[in-house]
Amino acid sequence: MNTADALAVLDAPPDADVDPDELVRAAMQWHFSPETGTPFWLARRDTLGFDPRTDVRTRADLRLFPQVVDDLRHTPVEDLLPRGYGGAAEVIGVFESGGTTGAPKRVVYLADWMEREMAQAMRAMDERGYPRGVNWLSLGPSGPHDYAELTGQHARRRGGLRFAIDFDPRWVRRCLREGRPEEAERYLDHVLAQAGDVLASQHVGAVQAPPPLLERLARDERLVDLVRGQVQVITWCGTSMDRDTRDLFTREVFPGIPVYGLYGSTMALGAAFERPVTDDGDSVFDSPSVNVTYEVVDPGSGEPVAVGETGQVVMHHLSKSALLPHNRERDMARRAAAPADRVGHAVADVRPVEAFTGVPVIVGAY
Amino acid sequence: MAAALPGSPGTAVAGPAPAAAPGPPRFLDALVPEGTYRTGRRETVRDVAGRPVAELTLAPALYVGRTLDRLRRRPAVAAGWPAAERADRLRAAATAFTGARLGGLDPEAHHRLVARTTGVPVAVVRAAAETVAAALAHAVAAVERARPRGALPADWRHADTGAGGAVVWRRRGHLLSVNASGNHPAVHSLWPEALALGYRVAVRPSRRDPFTAHRLVLALRSAGFADEDAVLLPCGHQAADELIRGGDLAMVFGGDEVVARYAGGRSGTPVLPQGPGRVKVLVTGAWEPYLDVIAESVGGLGGVSCLNATGVLVERDATGFAEALAERLGALRPLPPEHEDAGLPCLPAAEAHRVEDFLRQRAAGTRAVLGGGVHDLADGSAALRPAVHLLAGPGAEQLGVELPFPCAWVAPWSPADGTAPLRGSLVAGVATDDDALVDAVLAEPSVRNVYGLDRPTWWLPPGVPHDGFLAEFLMRATALARG
Repeated sequence: MNTADALAVLDAPPDADVDPDELVRAAMQWHFSPETGTPFWLARRDTLGFDPRTDVRTRADLRLFPQVVDDLRHTPVEDLLPRGYGGAAEVIGVFESGGTTGAPKRVVYLADWMEREMAQAMRAMDERGYPRGVNWLSLGPSGPHDYAELTGQHARRRGGLRFAIDFDPRWVRRCLREGRPEEAERYLDHVLAQAGDVLASQHVGAVQAPPPLLERLARDERLVDLVRGQVQVITWCGTSMDRDTRDLFTREVFPGIPVYGLYGSTMALGAAFERPVTDDGDSVFDSPSVNVTYEVVDPGSGEPVAVGETGQVVMHHLSKSALLPHNRERDMARRAAAPADRVGHAVADVRPVEAFTGVPVIVGAY
Repeated sequence: MAAALPGSPGTAVAGPAPAAAPGPPRFLDALVPEGTYRTGRRETVRDVAGRPVAELTLAPALYVGRTLDRLRRRPAVAAGWPAAERADRLRAAATAFTGARLGGLDPEAHHRLVARTTGVPVAVVRAAAETVAAALAHAVAAVERARPRGALPADWRHADTGAGGAVVWRRRGHLLSVNASGNHPAVHSLWPEALALGYRVAVRPSRRDPFTAHRLVLALRSAGFADEDAVLLPCGHQAADELIRGGDLAMVFGGDEVVARYAGGRSGTPVLPQGPGRVKVLVTGAWEPYLDVIAESVGGLGGVSCLNATGVLVERDATGFAEALAERLGALRPLPPEHEDAGLPCLPAAEAHRVEDFLRQRAAGTRAVLGGGVHDLADGSAALRPAVHLLAGPGAEQLGVELPFPCAWVAPWSPADGTAPLRGSLVAGVATDDDALVDAVLAEPSVRNVYGLDRPTWWLPPGVPHDGFLAEFLMRATALARG
């Protein structure tokens, strides 16, 4: 494949029917050619032990890639810009991972990728009946995180104003890590109070929040009433939510208000909206696009598991703007049957890997 | 109380035990103000051989938080009953708990189930049920023993509070949260006193033994307690935080780590910790007359209770004593927990090996008189054999290393050592003619109970404080003066 062919595939309109293996070959050609490639990948080309432009032909071949995202903790972000943009790439932002497992990893969001991601998001929202022309309240991280940018884009593209409440998850994690849950509690109160001010004084038709903030909101009757009175859709994102908590939201806390999850990763530069119908009671997410796909693999062998089996979530991002293949997330999920026209696996009952650790020895009788 | 030491040590045990077939897994739902609650995400409760026996609901944190928010707002229905009615209903609950078919289980099936999942010998489980029932039946009388003499009885009338004023004994809240453990079913003999005092109680059962608390709550409901007064909320760790935070007061059972996590008021809820007992005994004269009761203190109840003796201090011939104790405890046979003669606790084999490894680590530098260790029962479970180790002196740190099986650390003691080695004991069993020594042990603030060795350290009839009266934590004397 030459550069022109690769570009034709990578630049195909978001609704074009792109062959997923063609996209793999195009991405390899683009990111590993000396003329168009990404410095980050060019620097690794000789140590990979395979030639991506000839050896990586199909989606299954993506498994050849080692886990490289840890290198994004210290890579200068300029090295992530493909040369093919000719120094003219429009950077929407530099975004960082949560920082749960050490120094944060950084990625760059380019404008052309944002258009694709938002085209996918708008289509998903349309399919789910998200309103247009209402205002949004988003509670969540700004600063180095992609959340505020993405939720701002969501609101703007659906013709609404966006109210933002800032929330620093790193501070909360630090409080908990240092054994200061009361400080985390106090901070959450501080965040929720600000949401109360917006809900009480402004027109708000849509709310976006991570589950812990939504759960907090659900404990405050005044806030619950303010949401029930005007909000038409609720989106949760950022961390997983178990099915029973989701059922409490939809049946008891916010009856009649659709509640959808949004599952993704900063390292995948994209996210999927929850399917309107559950998979055996669990929230389920189809891979969002041909560019951003999920797989559920056996944690030991790395091989894909069968539909119905549980394994670790792997995410692939393949686009003109970035190449982040074969990234193992810290999530476990059950592989659900995916619709015929979708690339990648569908993931259900997503939960953190930590929830799968063993039980410590019992010492002492009490 | 359990008589866990077998009378016939010669009983032979052949091959894998014919374990009781557990039958199809049953659903164990949360018992909530609306009746029952079953979640989609559940935990499979397994017996010690790893076979699934129940599907336990795990209430999410949001459910726990919202439920407790509502329960905290109003006093218990039972708070409006006369004390006599509370006593009647608690007695009825005791009768149901020991005798009735509840949740589809008759008492014997319940005892076998608890024995199979906790590994606690079935005779110990059965005796624990009697302990719980006795606590229920006597709860109203027991809490009355804790009432300050200066405070009016619960049936006071406003006429009693005239010009000179009076003191009423008042609840500190409406709702007690209990984070229970599953090492021994009688952990559930403590919180019924809260019901007797007019509290509502929300219990998070252990995931090893959710059955005892489930049965107890069903028994209370069958005796007329309102669904919202006795609540069972099985849940994971995150939701457990919410349970503690959501109570007006909380009682937390667990190891040092769990207790340290919640004690100190970090959750904003006053917490009464129920940690390891680190029970010790001391014999100043001849130990021979006390050998039986010390063996019972170490090995009774399967050795799984916080009231079992861990450290043994003897003034004369510690080596001889350790050998004699080892001989007594060595008579305990490893048997499957549902076996009537079982006296030793069982665990899943892998877990039993971890306990054994821990024992070996901690025993380094001591003399193993009876080595303990794992006896594989060949069905995936294993019994923990008794252990007796001899320490060089009473200052050895092992004296307080409490493990969930009959495990004793024996150390020589001399009067010069004083009471320091007994510090931090839930019970100090002291056999001595020296009343001054008993007084000195009583004066040691970290020792919570002092018994003579005329009874095992786990002696605890209703009305005797376990770690102080629970009512000391739940109630407050309040002045009321209106002329």
